[in-house]
Amino acid sequence: MTALLDVRGLSKHYLGLTAVDNLCYEVEAGAIVGLIGPNGSGKSTCIDCISGFQPADAGQWFLDGRDITGMPPHRIARAGLTRSFQTVRAYDEFTLIENLCVAAQETDGVGWMQALLRGKHLRSVDAAADGRGRDLLATVGLADYAEAPAAILSYGQRKLLAIAASMMAKPRLVVLDEPVAGVNPTMVKHIEAVIRKLNAEGVALLIVEHNVDFIMSLCSRVIVLEAGSKIADGHPGLIRSDPRVLSAYLGKSHAAEYGECGG
Amino acid sequence: MDLNFYAQLLLNGIVIGVIYALIAMGLSLIFGVLEIVNFAHGEFYMLGAMLAYFLTANWGFGYWPTIVIVTAVAAALGYVLYEALLGSLRGESFERSILLTLGLSMVLQNGAVFLFTTTPKMMATGLSYSNIIVGELRLALSRLFALGLGLAAFSALYLILYYTRVGKAMRGVAQNRDAALMVGIDPRAVSRLAVAIGIGLSGLAGAALAPVYAVHPLMGFSFVFKAFAIIIIGGLGNISGAAIAAVMLGILESLIGGFLPLVLVDALAFVSMIAVLLLRPQGLFGRGVRV
Amino acid sequence: MSADTKAGLRLNTGSQPKVGALRALSIALAVLALFAIPKLTGNEYWLALGVSFATMSVLAGGLNLVYGYTGLLSFAQVGFFGIGGYAAALLVIERDWSLWAGVAAGGGLATVVGLIIGYSSLRLSRHAFAIVSLSFALLCMIVARDWVELTRGAMGIPGLPAPSMNLPGGMRWRIVQPADFYYLLLGFALFAHALIYLVVTSRLGRAMRAIKQNEPLAQSHGLNPLAYKLLAIALSALLAGMVGGLFVFYLTIVDPSIFDFYYTETMLIMVIIGGPGSFWGVLASSAVLTALPDLLRFTTDLRMVLYGVVLIVAMLLFPGGLGGWLQRRRVARWRRPHPAAP
Repeated sequence: MTALLDVRGLSKHYLGLTAVDNLCYEVEAGAIVGLIGPNGSGKSTCIDCISGFQPADAGQWFLDGRDITGMPPHRIARAGLTRSFQTVRAYDEFTLIENLCVAAQETDGVGWMQALLRGKHLRSVDAAADGRGRDLLATVGLADYAEAPAAILSYGQRKLLAIAASMMAKPRLVVLDEPVAGVNPTMVKHIEAVIRKLNAEGVALLIVEHNVDFIMSLCSRVIVLEAGSKIADGHPGLIRSDPRVLSAYLGKSHAAEYGECGG
Repeated sequence: MDLNFYAQLLLNGIVIGVIYALIAMGLSLIFGVLEIVNFAHGEFYMLGAMLAYFLTANWGFGYWPTIVIVTAVAAALGYVLYEALLGSLRGESFERSILLTLGLSMVLQNGAVFLFTTTPKMMATGLSYSNIIVGELRLALSRLFALGLGLAAFSALYLILYYTRVGKAMRGVAQNRDAALMVGIDPRAVSRLAVAIGIGLSGLAGAALAPVYAVHPLMGFSFVFKAFAIIIIGGLGNISGAAIAAVMLGILESLIGGFLPLVLVDALAFVSMIAVLLLRPQGLFGRGVRV
Repeated sequence: MSADTKAGLRLNTGSQPKVGALRALSIALAVLALFAIPKLTGNEYWLALGVSFATMSVLAGGLNLVYGYTGLLSFAQVGFFGIGGYAAALLVIERDWSLWAGVAAGGGLATVVGLIIGYSSLRLSRHAFAIVSLSFALLCMIVARDWVELTRGAMGIPGLPAPSMNLPGGMRWRIVQPADFYYLLLGFALFAHALIYLVVTSRLGRAMRAIKQNEPLAQSHGLNPLAYKLLAIALSALLAGMVGGLFVFYLTIVDPSIFDFYYTETMLIMVIIGGPGSFWGVLASSAVLTALPDLLRFTTDLRMVLYGVVLIVAMLLFPGGLGGWLQRRRVARWRRPHPAAP
């Protein structure tokens, strides 16, 4: 079975410091996979590289069999891999519904000339995007604010908006970068429910998080990084009791080899 | 080949290059410490020259006192400029600082045109028409004085930047602002001094060159863009890089002007800047600050 | 939901269509009034103001597109303006082209140049583009003044002939009187603003605004920032080049002063006061700033001093311009506690 996301040999160095070292992992279609590890283990770098926001020094990654290595971020997004950001980003001047519609416009097949000439086709496409956007706002619980400028949202609400927006381009895989960092426990539960609902529609998710409980309850598989390398990869129950994982989090680090990366 | 012709061109080039350097170093210092591009920098050069003219022509000051007064006034203006306008700007917005200082230059330049008209004025000092003859070279004394003043200013700046506490603090902020803040350097005090020095240098350059060229309200305009080009070529925030690039440009302009059409001379600075930006964005001497 | 501001339900905006129709009607009336002016008063003073408004509003509109909507500070507009002017003049005088072909070619040349400087510097950063655009404008002035073989130097190219146009119905319109140029330039301005309006109210304009607000976010949604930035630059260059071609024939001379920094400063003020990113705001400020200084009998120098002060004050107190202030008001309205909230 070919994985949806296949990362092989990803490596990235910063001025002599190795952020990610020969990293290999997969994400199956429709799965929710967690990516955890202590600070500085390379989680964010890995995400930035596969989504095109940072150039990698080595490695290849494939989305649904298609080689997306080295593509610029906008092309990767159009190919079906979208993401959210650690620093929660939104278009503050746009309303919530505008925030979502803009996220859909590059994947609905409408060209620039069509956009200017404003025919019937454009109107129906826009109406469809508007409908989907409002549905998503309802799913995440922000329907009341559809016409409000995004600037009024609280921190947690901005995270919900970002998650909704990442769904608008009809992605196969959504990468969430710390979706529950800094939010209160009620909101954490709410975001978990939202993620389950979105996953039920067939979208795979790769979630980078520090909140280990959140990951353990949500994900079917967990990958653990330490100092740029993978030290564990499997079912949450196994990970929880893996001695390497425990020592990584508790301080004593092992140079764990997780087997050759090359299959 | 007429060696004297070359030598004359070279000397002229060095003189103008040293003056470029005074202006460019001031601009570079302000950028390095405050991360602000001072579009109004050329107007302080012009104001320095204007003040020098008025002091000598209308109030009969001697040349040396004029130089001192103009430099002091310019430095004071720099202090005021910082407190009134620049202090509230932070480096996050490149565009805002450009537009703010552009507005200031519009006020100063057009204000000067309004008050003094665009008629150029010639500044007469005791040295105006004297030349020194060395071998077959004719060196205008006024140019030599400009050169001397420039070199003196360099040395003073070098001493300040490398041998005084506040100078080292300025270099520290220019290299790594956050680190400098962490070790307890007061950014406001350092910034204020940097602006005062930068503007002071500009005013000094104006006073130094006033006897050499005509003085008029639009003289600063062409200088500021060249100075801007120079600091890009030398490397943003690299003060000695700016000085070297400035002298190189002065010499090249002079040499080229001796043989090739005028358009190439005037265009040289800007074409070089574009070339450097596109091919080596950190500047010839680099700093790590990429545009 | 955690303790957030409950904004209450918005008023049903069913009145939208009526507002739209009213607005369209008032615009139509304003345009009619503008075109009627030469018939109402033969005073050449007003006609000259009209030409000035038409020209500057197109330049300001283009700058607004690049800076206000897309967030790219650019000094290149005046360069495109003058390139269009020189190209049109040279093609008509030396190659015997018609004015319309010359103007189109001037616009095309300006567009190509704009794409070149945009593409080469935007790969680096917005700041690199700002700097390159500035030196481009300065280089244009230098070349126009010094490269005498190409541009005839400081004296420029005087004696540009009056153009003429074949009207439907077989008549030939000779464009000689000030009133003729008034109609010509105003007509072009109408076309230019309509085109800009079409772009900024479409999803293309929305994309530009998204890129200005948060470029990485836009990228993560599949928007290609470089493509939209180049679109904005190309369109602003095309319109500036074409209006430049028409303008120099109104002046009947093209010389290096077409590249004067004065134009850059004026169009910047028009955009800043009107509000970067506000289509109607910039259009309105172009009109006001064209008419007002003449009405107040300001000399050019004082006018520029005033503009400088405006620029300083705007940068210190209103970095977002009128548009930013309006945005804050919108946000504030949503944040006001609703009386019905529990």
